[in-house]
Amino acid sequence: MAGANSNIQVTDLDFNLIKNNLKTYLQGQAVFQDYNFDGSALSTLLDILAYNTQYNAFYLNMVANEMFLDTSIRRSSAVSHAKLLDYVPKSNVAPTATINLRVNQVTDASLTLPQYTKFLSEAIDGVNYNFVTVDSYTVNTTANTANFIGVELKQGIPTKQTFTVDSASNPTYTFEIPDLGVDTTSLLVTVQQSSSNASYTVYNLASDYLILNSSSTVYFLQEGIDGYYQIYFGDGVLGQQLSDGNVVNISYIVTQGTAAAGANNFVLMNSISGYGNTVVYPVVPATNGGNQETLSSIQFQAPKAYSAQGRAVTKDDYITLIQQNQLGFAFDAVNVWGGEENNPPVYGQVFICLKPAGAYLLTDTQKKQIMQNIIDPVSVVTVQPTIVDPDYTYLQLSTNVYYDPTKTNQTSSQLQAGIISAIQTFGTTTLNTFNSSFNAYDLLGTIQNYDASVITSEYTLKLQKKFFPSITNPETYNLYYHTPLQRGVYGSSITSSPGLQFINPANTAATIDNVFIEEVPQQTFGVDNIVILNPGFSYQSAPTITIQGDGTGATATATIVNGSISSITVTNAGNNYTSAIATVTPAYGDTTGTNAVLVVNLQGQYGTLRSYYYNTTNVKTILNSNVGSVDYVNGIITLNSFKPTEVDNPLGQFAITATPTSSILKSTYNGILTIDPFDATAISVTMTAKTN
Amino acid sequence: MATLTKIYSDIDFTFKPKPVTGDVALSYDQQAVIRSVRNLLQTNHYERPFNPDLGSNLSALLFENISPSTTVALQNEIMSTISNYEPRAKVQSVSVSVLPDQNSYSATITMYIANATVPTTVTVLLQRDR
Repeated sequence: MAGANSNIQVTDLDFNLIKNNLKTYLQGQAVFQDYNFDGSALSTLLDILAYNTQYNAFYLNMVANEMFLDTSIRRSSAVSHAKLLDYVPKSNVAPTATINLRVNQVTDASLTLPQYTKFLSEAIDGVNYNFVTVDSYTVNTTANTANFIGVELKQGIPTKQTFTVDSASNPTYTFEIPDLGVDTTSLLVTVQQSSSNASYTVYNLASDYLILNSSSTVYFLQEGIDGYYQIYFGDGVLGQQLSDGNVVNISYIVTQGTAAAGANNFVLMNSISGYGNTVVYPVVPATNGGNQETLSSIQFQAPKAYSAQGRAVTKDDYITLIQQNQLGFAFDAVNVWGGEENNPPVYGQVFICLKPAGAYLLTDTQKKQIMQNIIDPVSVVTVQPTIVDPDYTYLQLSTNVYYDPTKTNQTSSQLQAGIISAIQTFGTTTLNTFNSSFNAYDLLGTIQNYDASVITSEYTLKLQKKFFPSITNPETYNLYYHTPLQRGVYGSSITSSPGLQFINPANTAATIDNVFIEEVPQQTFGVDNIVILNPGFSYQSAPTITIQGDGTGATATATIVNGSISSITVTNAGNNYTSAIATVTPAYGDTTGTNAVLVVNLQGQYGTLRSYYYNTTNVKTILNSNVGSVDYVNGIITLNSFKPTEVDNPLGQFAITATPTSSILKSTYNGILTIDPFDATAISVTMTAKTN
Repeated sequence: MATLTKIYSDIDFTFKPKPVTGDVALSYDQQAVIRSVRNLLQTNHYERPFNPDLGSNLSALLFENISPSTTVALQNEIMSTISNYEPRAKVQSVSVSVLPDQNSYSATITMYIANATVPTTVTVLLQRDR
């Protein structure tokens, strides 16, 4: 019966291919010949065989997939694999907002704002969200007014579950939380003695298994089937065991994750102890919410959490620990580097830079919480971790786009709006994080790919640094652009905005408005210094130094020690040099001195900043001819003893804009390149129609 | 090819053993094709895995009222099923007659089977069973 085609191909998983393989197999025999006719009994049998084969193949394939963390498709499988790595996927995290609350007409001496007091947020995308206090606050009243300062609100609905322990039906003491939206960081677990005995013990989440013993009152957290979380208790060896009749009380917040992010205005839902005359003042809008970890995130994070082993030693350990924090903070980006990489190096320190989700900077309280709760417990004893703020460099892009109006049905302004939003998307996807880079090719490619009608485009790039100058004390500000800057020429010089107000030096009782900062024009290029490449030997007296070049007037003298040139002093920098060389001529009568070689460095690394304003007759007037300096080579702008009395901006923020020499920018360490979404002038697009 | 060579061979769906050898009985040539036609007529759409079109829609028609139009629909369905799925048979005629007392139809199919010189006639009783 078996013939040339008697081998069955076993690689196929598709029904029709399996059936064809069976048919090919049957071609090798002569007894049954009707396998090719659909109506034949043999064909029916082949169908059943092929169906069975496919069914098994699919099942096996799926089982094989689910057996590995990388390939599992079902969440429960990935969660189970992650369990072996002691990794608990993150739950929804409630966004937190801060408010101040004033209660008027209070007649009591003190007033308590109880835990889980309900507030309703303003509408976010058409939905009002519930917020609650997670703590209770008590303040003393002053003049019949109670002021609650810094009240933290979390988005969600407080929920309670009660379970009675019965080892017969639940021998593993596992209790499932029946809410998918639970914020596990808000879990409070208490175990009551029995339904008739109300004394209870608080149980905490187990973290370090080395210190657990039979009396540790801890609970363990895991994700069970279909994304529902479970808590379970110790077995009497690791953690205290429960006994029958105990009542487990769980309270937590069920939240909608990031949905309510940005909510800033709240209304108190009920009166407080009967006092209904209340005013809510927004302080910090709702941020730092998070959604339940996705399957792909579990697959990515679990092995990393395992390799960190609950210790912060390597750079990635810190990043993983911070990303997985149980505090409910969410971060867009985390960067960590050792102090030895700093310039100058700082040994024994680790620098941590965090970009919080939905905000620019962390508050001091948040930094403290991160240090105390996440980093300090697990960091190596001799290493001192330090949290530094991200250093934002804002890109200012202006582009000229040439397009062919016959190739599009969009108007010029529609194209313009589309290109602006394409550049914004480019900014959020490729920039906006640590270790990102900007290059012209990607930007122009984004514009080119936006629409077929775009013929070509060009752009100019400026960099902006923003800071909040003190209006009370004169201070020194260093702005790091992290890239060489261009010397000011017309159109690309250093500019500032908004206008500043300074005290009038001529009349200290008066002030001058609309003061701006710019570079002092550099018309002369003199000799900055002369470097000794080879000091020479056998000079009997100081040789003559001659500076030759395309400029005029530069002079210098040499000092000799033991017959060699030890230093060169530039006595006159001269001006208008773009290149210069220095030659050494032995003094008259000196016949032995020889071999000295010098190199001339021209001025240009540094520039000076001055402040100016337009006076009443609209004449540009210099207020202070030296407010700071520019290091063009290292891209650093320094403002010395800078103290405006007012910044013409509601936030008091001041920005200095400069032009980089390179169009390839890279952010390192705590630097973040970003396009400010709130700055309408950050992206400007000029459309020019070309029809050839 | 000699006329006696059996060119079609199929398992008999009755799965009866041959009296002497005990092997499963086979059906050959004309018998195999007639079996195949009967199988096709008794198979409903969506009955075969991954081949929903295979078979005929006769059982649906058997739930219709008995009428001349149903009779014609049955005829057409039988003809198209055989021409679509049984290349070895060429239908000459299908006549469907009503058997009102038995609540059923009788279909007589006359067809030429490949390699046979005379037409073959098959009569199928079509009765709904559920």
